[in-house]
Amino acid sequence: MYEMQKVDKKFPGVHALKTVDFNIKRGEIVGLVGENGAGKSTLMKIIYGAYQPDSGKILLNGNEVNFANPREALASGIGMVFQEQSLIPSLTIMENIFLGYEGQFVHFGMINWKAMATAARVQLAKVKLDLDPATITSKLSFAQRQLVELAKVLTLEERVKGDLVILLDEPTSVLAEEEVELLFKLIRELTTRASFIFVSHRIDEVMTISDRIYVLKDGNVVDVVVKGQSSIEAIQHKMVGRNVDKEYYREHRQKPFDESKVLFELSEVSLPGRVKNASLKLHSGEVLCLVGAEGSGREAIVRALYGMVTPTSGQLSIKGAAMEQASPRAAVERGVGYVPRERKIEGIVSGMNVYENLTLSQLGKYSTRGVLKIAQEKALARDWISKLSIKASSENADCGNLSGGNQQKVVLAKWRSGGSDIMLLDHPTRGLDIGAKEDVYEMIRDMCEAGVGILLVADTFEEAIGLSHTIAVIKDGQIQKQFDTKQGAKPTPFDLLHHMI
Amino acid sequence: MAAMNIERLKPHFPWITLVTLVVIVSLIDPTFLRPSSMLSLAGDIVPLFIMALGITFVIYIGGIDLSAQSMANMVTVLATVWLTSLGAWVAPAVVLMGAILGAFSGYFTTRLFVPSFISTLAVGGVAFSVAKWLSGQKSVSMDAAQRDHLFGWMIGRTFGIPHELFIAAALLLIMVFLERRTILGRTLKAIGAGEPAAVASGINVARYKIAAFALSGALAAMAGLLFSVKLSGGAPSVANGFLLPAIVAVLVGGTPLTGGVGGVVNTMIGALIVAVIRAGMLYLSIQATQQQIVFGLILICAIAFTIDRAKLKTVK
Repeated sequence: MYEMQKVDKKFPGVHALKTVDFNIKRGEIVGLVGENGAGKSTLMKIIYGAYQPDSGKILLNGNEVNFANPREALASGIGMVFQEQSLIPSLTIMENIFLGYEGQFVHFGMINWKAMATAARVQLAKVKLDLDPATITSKLSFAQRQLVELAKVLTLEERVKGDLVILLDEPTSVLAEEEVELLFKLIRELTTRASFIFVSHRIDEVMTISDRIYVLKDGNVVDVVVKGQSSIEAIQHKMVGRNVDKEYYREHRQKPFDESKVLFELSEVSLPGRVKNASLKLHSGEVLCLVGAEGSGREAIVRALYGMVTPTSGQLSIKGAAMEQASPRAAVERGVGYVPRERKIEGIVSGMNVYENLTLSQLGKYSTRGVLKIAQEKALARDWISKLSIKASSENADCGNLSGGNQQKVVLAKWRSGGSDIMLLDHPTRGLDIGAKEDVYEMIRDMCEAGVGILLVADTFEEAIGLSHTIAVIKDGQIQKQFDTKQGAKPTPFDLLHHMI
Repeated sequence: MAAMNIERLKPHFPWITLVTLVVIVSLIDPTFLRPSSMLSLAGDIVPLFIMALGITFVIYIGGIDLSAQSMANMVTVLATVWLTSLGAWVAPAVVLMGAILGAFSGYFTTRLFVPSFISTLAVGGVAFSVAKWLSGQKSVSMDAAQRDHLFGWMIGRTFGIPHELFIAAALLLIMVFLERRTILGRTLKAIGAGEPAAVASGINVARYKIAAFALSGALAAMAGLLFSVKLSGGAPSVANGFLLPAIVAVLVGGTPLTGGVGGVVNTMIGALIVAVIRAGMLYLSIQATQQQIVFGLILICAIAFTIDRAKLKTVK
């Protein structure tokens, strides 16, 4: 039904897509996997009309089409559910659903809200949401918003004659496990009305939902896998071009931690918001993982340790000293390093080079009376570039131009070079490709060996279980249970989930 | 492809613009190229340049300082009124005054979350009013002998070079050092290029922002002092018409409103561009009253051209 023939796209310095053939049949769910930079997003952007191919053809039911912009693609029944949520939080659900297409409800210049609400209810029913269409979008949960986005795209059914193709870009990244299940069920039901292209970093999810999977590497389609005919490992191998270490989480390097050295301790700490009476300890050489749903309070605990939130009651002490006045400055001085989730926004400063980023948290150490010792800064950067094999042309390279994995290495190097021995890692592997993830896991083990304690909020259950010595499960701001996750005696995701919901 | 090249060329636009303008103006009137006319042209732009130097730091961190002109106005009056009693101490006194008022703007912006365009507008209003009040809305004049004795060195010529240029060069050197070699400069760059990352690195961002506003205030005061020495007096309106070209100098120099790139050397080029445009308008006999029309238009074009749209989600 939808077909791409020999589609080619070049950007300055990058051959993003190399004569790619791609097709999708009516009612089919097609998965799209590949490492960062493999060409996934370029391919998607061509499909929904944001980019135009340099050469090659796009056929819709055998007829050649050219989309100058996403609106033209929409008019042909090709819609996109965005990863960055595209709903406007201050508008109501129905206003969002019909944004830009309000004309159908306008009579004599006035919007007929009743008609719009009725029409919105029809759309919401398609995604099984029983919500008042006049609800303000900001009041919805992430999962509900994701479904509203889907409903918005499904308005195509009424507007367009013929088949629909709907792109789902990382639709599960903000969803909890059970919400993913619901979404998948819904997508399967909707295949009577539309075909889906499903893009995700989580290969297991892609394998569950897709009828066929396109594997991209360096702008080529290296394989098309039919459901049930391949394993996760085989697909990963094709994506990365080499075998992925069986010891993905480096469990063989997990050593027992030093129980006599407590790095931080929370006793009966309550925080503004949800967290109530949380007690936790982190030891030297330990990876302590906080597991819980988005908004359960795990982020708040991380932020409190970094001095961004002051406890309302209870005591927070770092290396035996109670923290009275909370501030990031005070936390950094006591050896806390923070690797934030938003790497590009809070992690590195793009526009500044490697050495400038490395010393940002320790300028006092590389200066006398406010004057910087730039030669020393550069030497430090060269040292860490080789220590962590950071792929940067030199210490003068702009961090904004490094790949995600190398940016993360710079952030880690920033704290480690300053001697931080309490590392707060908030989703340290989010958005990284497999090779870069392995590097981060390797670094986590290295840090533990050096006596660093790590507080981790992981991207997946598997990551949390694989990396941790201890797991604390949080639900509604309460620490439900602590698991001892020694090497060879790891709990299963199910064990954890049980305490999460 | 074309878009990429423009991105790569962007850092070079300021000096390309400068050279092009010099060529155009010298074609209109070849006398423009005479060293003596170029030197006095450069000398005339110095107060504006000093003001622009200060504004650079505030724009560098993504803010704006609209108080500079009023600050300079106020200082012309203060310097004149205080000269008899304070003598040479009048110079540090007015600079400190500027820094304090600038720090107030910074405090309002960072601690009370008043956007900088409003806080500096308000502080500028205060300064303007102080100038009017102290001067009784008239121009006041300095004792010529005392002025020449204490500050005459600021406005003479040596080997035909106006002394203002030496002052400008010295200030530029100090500011370049501050920008590139000190914790303050590095931190301001980090704040401009990625404030959340600066916060997450444990930097006390508010303190450094206040410092940037204070620096801007101090330099505006220096510009005011130079004005009053040149005019041998002060009035609450002598620096009027300088704010727009000063901001133009910063922006056409290549420090965009979104901050993070550019810097004081860029502002020097920007100030020279403004000087050449002024001279060009003179040769084309555009009246002084019409000049602000041109600078207003250039300002809009410069912003539209230099702003980093990736950093802005929406413009309000």
